[in-house]
Amino acid sequence: MMRDDMRHDEDEMDRIFSGEDEIQPSSGFAASVMEGVQREAVGPPPIPFPWMRALPGLVVAGLAVVLVVMAAVVAGGQVEAATVHRPSMSMSWLSLLLSSPLVFQGNVGSAAIWGVLAVGVTFVSVNLSMRLASGRG
Amino acid sequence: MSASDDQADVEKVLGGDISAFEGIVRRWQGPLVNLAYRFCQDRGRAEEMAQEAFLRSYRGLGQWRKDAAFSTWLFAVATNLYRSELRRIPARTIGLDEVAEPMDARASDGGLEDRDRDLAVRRAVLALPGKYREALTLYYFHDMDVPTAAKSLGVPEGTVKARLFRGREILRGKLPRQLAVPRVKEA
Repeated sequence: MMRDDMRHDEDEMDRIFSGEDEIQPSSGFAASVMEGVQREAVGPPPIPFPWMRALPGLVVAGLAVVLVVMAAVVAGGQVEAATVHRPSMSMSWLSLLLSSPLVFQGNVGSAAIWGVLAVGVTFVSVNLSMRLASGRG
Repeated sequence: MSASDDQADVEKVLGGDISAFEGIVRRWQGPLVNLAYRFCQDRGRAEEMAQEAFLRSYRGLGQWRKDAAFSTWLFAVATNLYRSELRRIPARTIGLDEVAEPMDARASDGGLEDRDRDLAVRRAVLALPGKYREALTLYYFHDMDVPTAAKSLGVPEGTVKARLFRGREILRGKLPRQLAVPRVKEA
C-alpha cells in the first residue's frame, strides 16, 4: 500500500515536471545557427600566443622574481642579525631595516645608480612591449 | 534521435563537411532551446543562448571523446554555457518566499485546479537556488537519469542525487500539500 503511494508520488512529480509546455525554436533558428557556423569556418583561425617571442621576457621576469626573493631573504637575515647583536636597543622593525647596510644604507651615489637602473629597465621593457605589439620585434 | 546519426555527422564535420552540422542542429535544437528556456524563462534569450551553445559545440567538436553519448556532451557544453550566462545576467525569477502556496490545494471539491497546482510547483522550482534547479531541470524536464545528469553538470552522481533530494525537500517544505515524498529513479 505504502509502495503504491510512493509510486503515485513519484509519478505525480514526473507528471508535474515533464508536463510543462515545450517551446518550439523559431523557423529560422537552424539557418541562423548554420550562418554562424559558416562565419566561424571561413574566418581566420585564432592567433596563437607568441610563446617564442614572449619567452625571453618570461625568463627575465622569472629571474627578477628570484632575485627579489633572494634579496628579501638576505635582508631579513641581516635584520635578524642586527636584532641579535643589539638586543637591548628598542627599535622598530622599519628603523632596523632602514639602518641595515644592504640596500637602504647607501649614500646618494648608490641611490642614483639604483634610480638609473630602474629607469633603464622600465625603458627597455616599454620599448620591447611596443615593438612586440607593433610586430617589429 | 539516433546516436549513430550524431556520430556520423560529427565525423563528417571533422572531415571538413561543415554542412553536416545542420543535421546535429536540427536534431537537437528543440532540447537545447527548451533547456535554455528552463534556465532563463525568456524565449528570445533562450534562442540566443542555444545558438551560442551550438557554436561552442562546433568549435569544440574535436574534444568529444566518445566515452559518453554525443547528446550528453552537447548538454554538458550547453549547461556550462547557460550557467555562466545566467551568472552574468541573472534570469528574472521570484524568491522562494514569494512563491505563494495555494490556500487549500487538496480541497474535497477540487478547490484548486490541477493546472494551477502544477504551475505553483513549477514556479517554486524556478525559485530554487541554481544548483538544485539545474539538477531537477535535467532530471525531470529533460528526463535524464542520474549518471547522464551528472555528466552534463560535471559533478559526481552522488552530488546529483544529493541535490535532487535537497531540491525536493525544499519544494516539499514550501508546498507540502502539493508534493509528497518521491523516490529517486534508479540510476
